[in-house]
Parts: sequence; C-alpha cells; structure tokens
Amino acid sequence: MKQRLLVGLSTMSLIMAGCGNGDENGEEFTSAAATSTDAKLNVQMVKSLVEDQTDHTVEIVEDLPASPQIFAGIERGEFDIASLYSGEVHNNYFDEVEYTTDPDETLEQAQTFFGEEYDIKWYDPIGFINNYSIGVQESFAEENNIETVTDLGEYADELTLGTDNAWIERDNDGYRGFQEAYGYEFADARGMDVSLMYDGIANGEVDVVTTYTVDPQIIENDLEVLEDDQEFFPPYESSLVATNEVVDSHPEINEILESMVDLISTEEMTDLMYEVEIEERDTKQVADEFLQEKGMLD
Amino acid sequence: MEILSGFFEYWTESYASILEYTYEHIAISFTVILLGISFSIPLAVYMTKMKNNKIKNMIFNIANIFQTIPPIALLAVMVPIAGIGFAPAVIALFLYSLLPLLRNTYAGIESIDPEIVEAARGMGYSTLQSLFKIELPVAFPYVMSGIRVSSVYIISWTALAALIGAGGLGDLILAGIGYNDQFMIFTGTIAAILIAVLLDLILGRMEKRIYGSS
Repeated sequence: MKQRLLVGLSTMSLIMAGCGNGDENGEEFTSAAATSTDAKLNVQMVKSLVEDQTDHTVEIVEDLPASPQIFAGIERGEFDIASLYSGEVHNNYFDEVEYTTDPDETLEQAQTFFGEEYDIKWYDPIGFINNYSIGVQESFAEENNIETVTDLGEYADELTLGTDNAWIERDNDGYRGFQEAYGYEFADARGMDVSLMYDGIANGEVDVVTTYTVDPQIIENDLEVLEDDQEFFPPYESSLVATNEVVDSHPEINEILESMVDLISTEEMTDLMYEVEIEERDTKQVADEFLQEKGMLD
Repeated sequence: MEILSGFFEYWTESYASILEYTYEHIAISFTVILLGISFSIPLAVYMTKMKNNKIKNMIFNIANIFQTIPPIALLAVMVPIAGIGFAPAVIALFLYSLLPLLRNTYAGIESIDPEIVEAARGMGYSTLQSLFKIELPVAFPYVMSGIRVSSVYIISWTALAALIGAGGLGDLILAGIGYNDQFMIFTGTIAAILIAVLLDLILGRMEKRIYGSS
C-alpha cells in the first residue's frame, strides 16, 4: 500500500514538473472584478486573450463586494487589471470632482482622477453601459401608461422601492438626489441584495426596482425600464483598467486591452449575461464564444 | 483629528437616518430575543422533564443544525418562504437563538443535584412548586448566560438582515461598502456594538438584582 502511494506521488510530481516547463517566460497577472456578471465576463475575456496571445497567465479574483475594494487592491499591488465603470468617479472618492451626468465628461474625469490617484491607465470604454435605471413590471407600466420616471410620480405614494443597499445613502446619484430631481418619493424604500430585488419584484413584494441597463433580469422578469427623462442617472460606461507599471513594462498586454475598446455593445452584453445568469452557462465558455464570433480568438 | 471632524460632520448631517437604522436594528433583534426567550426556555424546562431521550436529542440536533447554517444562506432561504423584510429576518435569526438558550437552560436545570429535588418532593412540593421555588432559581445564572450570549449574537447577526430588505444598521454598513464611505461603515458598526454592550450591561444588572434577592 505504502509503495503504491509512493509510486503515485512520484508520477504526479513528474507530471506536474512537466507542466511547469511551458511558462518559463510568462508572468502571472491578477485581474479583479466585482460581483456583477458583466465585469466577470470582461476579465474572463482579458484572461482568454492574454493567455492565447502571450506566454503570460491571468488569475481572476472576482465577487469583490464593490469598487472600493478593487481600488484598495490596486493600491496594495494585488491587482494588475480590473473592470470598472466611469460613473464611479462620483462615488465619494474625490471631493474636487464636479458632478455631471454627461458621459464624455464623466469618462474624462474617471480617466484623469483615478489615473492619477491610483497610477493606472483607464482605457476607453469597452462599449456597453451599465447605468442605474428605474424598472417596473411591464404589466403595471402598460395599465397605467407609464413611460418615463416622471410618469411614475403619480403612483409613487403607493409603491415600494427595492434597491441595492448603497443607493439609498448615495449622495449625488442616490435616492436623495432622485427625490430632488423628480420631486417625489416612494411610500417605502428598502435596500437589499440585488438578486433578491428581482425576486421581490417578481413576486410583488416591491413594485419598483433600481435595475441596471445591461441586466438580463429585465428580460427574464418582464420589466419595463422607464426613461430617465430628467437625465438624473450618471453614465456607467464599462472600461478596463491596468496599472501603469504593467502597461509600461508589458506593451503586449497594453495592446490586448486596447483591442478590447468598443468591443461589446449594451445589447451584446445583455445577451452574454443572459447566457450566464439565466441559462446558467459557464462564464469562460460564453466569453470565449463571443471572442470567437468577433474573430479575436480561434 | 480630521477623522473625528469627519465623523462629527457625518453624524450631524444624517443623525435622523442613523437613528432610524438603529431603531430598525433594535426592533428586529429585540423581537428575536423576546421570541427566543419565550419559546426556548419553557421548551428547555419541559425537556428536562422528558423521559424520552430520542426526542430530546432530536430537538437539540435540529437546533444544532440551524446554528451551523451560514446566516446569509438561511436569510436567503427565508425569502421565498416569508418574503422580504422584517418577517423573514426575524424567523431566520430566531432559529439561531434557539441553541444557546436551550442548551444553557437545560444544562442549568440538569446540573441541580437530584437529591435536592428529591428532598423538595419529600417536603411535599408539587412539580411546579419545586420548579419555580428550587430548580429555576438555582439554574438562573445558567439561563441568564444563555440569554446574554444569544442576545449579543443576535444583535451582531441582525446586521445581515439588511441583505433581505429588513433594514437595520447593516444597511449603513453595506451602503458604506458600496459607496466607499468609512464613516457609514464605522457608524453602523459602532452603533451595533453599543446596542449589544448596553443590553448586556442591563441584563447583567438585572441578573444581579434578581439573583441577589432570591
């Protein structure tokens, strides 16, 4: 018995040693994504492209609670590449950033401020936008002829809002700002986990949700996204970022990240997320298929 | 110094919402604690009188299992059953309060020398008389420590109830995580600690007063 174990162990170590030889020239990079599926797909695509085109490997760290944890990781040198949104520049990081909902201005602010503060390169948007938006059940919108967020105001005093825990307390683009911009509030506003928010509106426990524009749950739960007619919500354009250290020392990585600019439209990302979240398919498979379709991967 | 003034500014700006979160937190956790006490302690007393060991073990095992389910999972499981908000949070946390209350009360009464109970019976005490005059007073410190332990647990776990729309100080903590605001995180945490410490102090006082007089 003991002998067999020994033979087994030595064979295994031989195999493992054999595998190690391939990556002599490669380095390992770490790529971070928060809990949202779109960010996970982004970094998965980075991983596939980098590992296909170079000798480097990319390790993915995902399900980080929110962007502050990603920035903290970048600051500590734990993450080299990440997926982030331009609108986060209004998330209480910089006092001197002037609040705006103009997409170009927001992007420029994000590139400048985050770029300097965290010594990173903030690439141009990957193509899709993941804004906050107000969603209600389709049937409710049709019955009451509601198309815009302003239209909803008439019914607001009987409606319960379900939202993520942060939105209620956010300054500029949060609930307080919303009340100012639209001039009404809901009968009740409850913060909760995002996945439960959709369960909640599906079984009628909440009537209104702050949904995200790329979210396939909108299709799955027959939600109507209302037009933000006061242009209240700031743009959340998705971008890849990488530390300047990596960008400067590895032009091949920079090239790959550049090649991903304008790669995925909002509709395309919604479809991909539908595959992952609703069809429960593997993130890597879905990401690779998309890259193959685009001719970026064999 | 800057941190202190930051806190001060945050508190003066949003004391109304902080109070509201604190109130929600207290409402959830105190409801759970009261429910837990009024259910578990009589049950534990009844269990000490039970002859059937199988049922006894089963009850302990069930309480034990609840204790091992990660709180987030139990809260999430509650949503399809009890919906979103106050009710599922109370039910889930109530299940957590069972074990420490049951165990402590049971152990307290079981630890009494059977001869004392026997002697009481010999003196003509009825079962109820012996329970209220002898067994419960002797077991009282155990029962109280069960109540104190589970209270502290419940107050801290109530923070997770914010994930299922029940509100409470967890809302503040999660909002702070998502919105990059340490003041929110710390305020939520400190307030939860304060509630737990204060309640523990009050329970300690109560224990001394009652125990001292009995």
